[in-house]
Amino acid sequence: MNEQFYWVKLTIGVIATIGLYSVLYRETKFYRFFEHLFLGLAAGFILVALWKETLKPLWWDKMTGSVTIDDVTKVSTIDQPGFWIYGFLLPIGLMGYLVFSKKHNWMSRIPIGIILGFWSGQQVQIWWNRWGAQIYGSMQPVWPTTTDSFTRPYTEGMAPADQAYIAAQLYPSQAISNLIFVITILAALSYFFFSFELKGKFLKGTNTLGRWLLMLGFGAIFGSTVMARFVLEIDRMSYIFVEWVDQTSKMFPGGG
Amino acid sequence: MSTPEKSFWDKAQTLDRRVLYAVLIVLTATSLFFKTEIPVNPDDSSKDLYVSLMTIDPSKTVLIESDWTNSTRGESAGHFEALMRILMFRKVKFVVYSIADAQAPQVARDALMRIQEERKGQGLKEYEPWVDYLDIGYFPNAEGHLQAVGNNIRTAWGGRKERDDTGKERGIFESPVLSNVRVVGDAGLVVVVSASATIDIAVERLYGKVPLAFMVTGVMGPNALPYYQAGQIVGIGVGLKGVYDVEYMMKYGVNYRPDGATKAKVLYKEDSVVVAPVTEGTTMDRGARYFLPLHVALTLMILAIIFGNVAMFASRRKKKEAK
Repeated sequence: MNEQFYWVKLTIGVIATIGLYSVLYRETKFYRFFEHLFLGLAAGFILVALWKETLKPLWWDKMTGSVTIDDVTKVSTIDQPGFWIYGFLLPIGLMGYLVFSKKHNWMSRIPIGIILGFWSGQQVQIWWNRWGAQIYGSMQPVWPTTTDSFTRPYTEGMAPADQAYIAAQLYPSQAISNLIFVITILAALSYFFFSFELKGKFLKGTNTLGRWLLMLGFGAIFGSTVMARFVLEIDRMSYIFVEWVDQTSKMFPGGG
Repeated sequence: MSTPEKSFWDKAQTLDRRVLYAVLIVLTATSLFFKTEIPVNPDDSSKDLYVSLMTIDPSKTVLIESDWTNSTRGESAGHFEALMRILMFRKVKFVVYSIADAQAPQVARDALMRIQEERKGQGLKEYEPWVDYLDIGYFPNAEGHLQAVGNNIRTAWGGRKERDDTGKERGIFESPVLSNVRVVGDAGLVVVVSASATIDIAVERLYGKVPLAFMVTGVMGPNALPYYQAGQIVGIGVGLKGVYDVEYMMKYGVNYRPDGATKAKVLYKEDSVVVAPVTEGTTMDRGARYFLPLHVALTLMILAIIFGNVAMFASRRKKKEAK
């Protein structure tokens, strides 16, 4: 039964995949049907998941508490007391919907204000967490500390003191890599100097270099995105031609 | 008035896009059936990710933020499955939670069940809920939630209950999985398997409190790599290449030389670090299956771009000559 259910589930998935991919040929009623089916299912699923995974455990259960009744003695014990104060969260949350009322929309500012307050309070810390290390990491050494070797030698089998010495050095290949990084970041930043006129060969050249490097970056990002999209198509093909075919051959051995 | 006859190059430029779609579908679907192992040099970020996963203290719990759905199954499922296989091989306990999408927990559950079935078929130990892992579902308000986890994980997750091994509902911190976690820093690692900007939220709210590692889609890769460059995360796998890299290292290890081999297949920046391969269950799976079709698709795209440009120049030249 489990196998059959799994096969039915896969088959519906295959039909839905073909339905949605049919837009590649032309937008038809067949495609529209599956588009609406997908949207409806997603909306319904999220509604149930929000209650089951969020509102019930995080709000309802905390408000109502939980009691266990012993099957034999019929004595009830409180596992977790309920906190009625959680009930006040409901009207505060509902006030958010009054944004649609002309007369009472001022009330919607209360929950919005609470959220904005929390959000603003977090900003200094989170800004530093996100960018602080990156600013620090952008300051790379660009002058090699040794010219014993162009690249960092392999240290396997060396004494720990030698390994530590090599690890502490900046070899020319690493310095060049760091230099490219530093030039890229400075040139890219200089592209965003909009508040004054760029005069002179150096400033104009840096600005142009920044523009080219940014375009190279965008090209790489676009390439990565295209690759990701191809993988989605490959996965769907795998779903149809590998997973579904495999399960079908298990369901109908020797037949289908 | 008769219209001038279109040359081959003119026709080539107006090729119906559906022909290209059909060729793409046929080629990628066909190449799925060829099993080849393409040799790669894994990215440094993938190597760091693998080394981190393979060297976590097994007594520490790993927190997995699973923020992907079926819309990115091609990449994210591969990441998630490889992660499961490594953690189960190393007998590391883990917690799975989601903050990006209410559908994400179910998708992660399905992937976890696939790995459990696979291990069962291979005669390996299945992970037991409550004892070995916890699946605690979805938390809304990603920013607020991770802020709360960073401040006090016991309060943030305090309301969650799961059934224990006897079927009784109990608070998740009574589970052997989380009993040793008092603050988020007690976790061995937080691994974010994501297809969205929740990686930014994780860095903003958890960086400095617990080691972070990412497994992201190709779309999110460029956004996430600066965090690796700046040392904010210990490692990252990007897109299908990231999946294949990890699977490749699961098979061959890092700086690892099997008996008789003179050179390791995958070299690491620190020569003294030797990480063995994963020696049980499946290693090369989804990443390996999709890697050849990806090469085929990319080759087709490159050829189509070259052909389109050649056609454009040839058509222009022909028109010039006609004048």
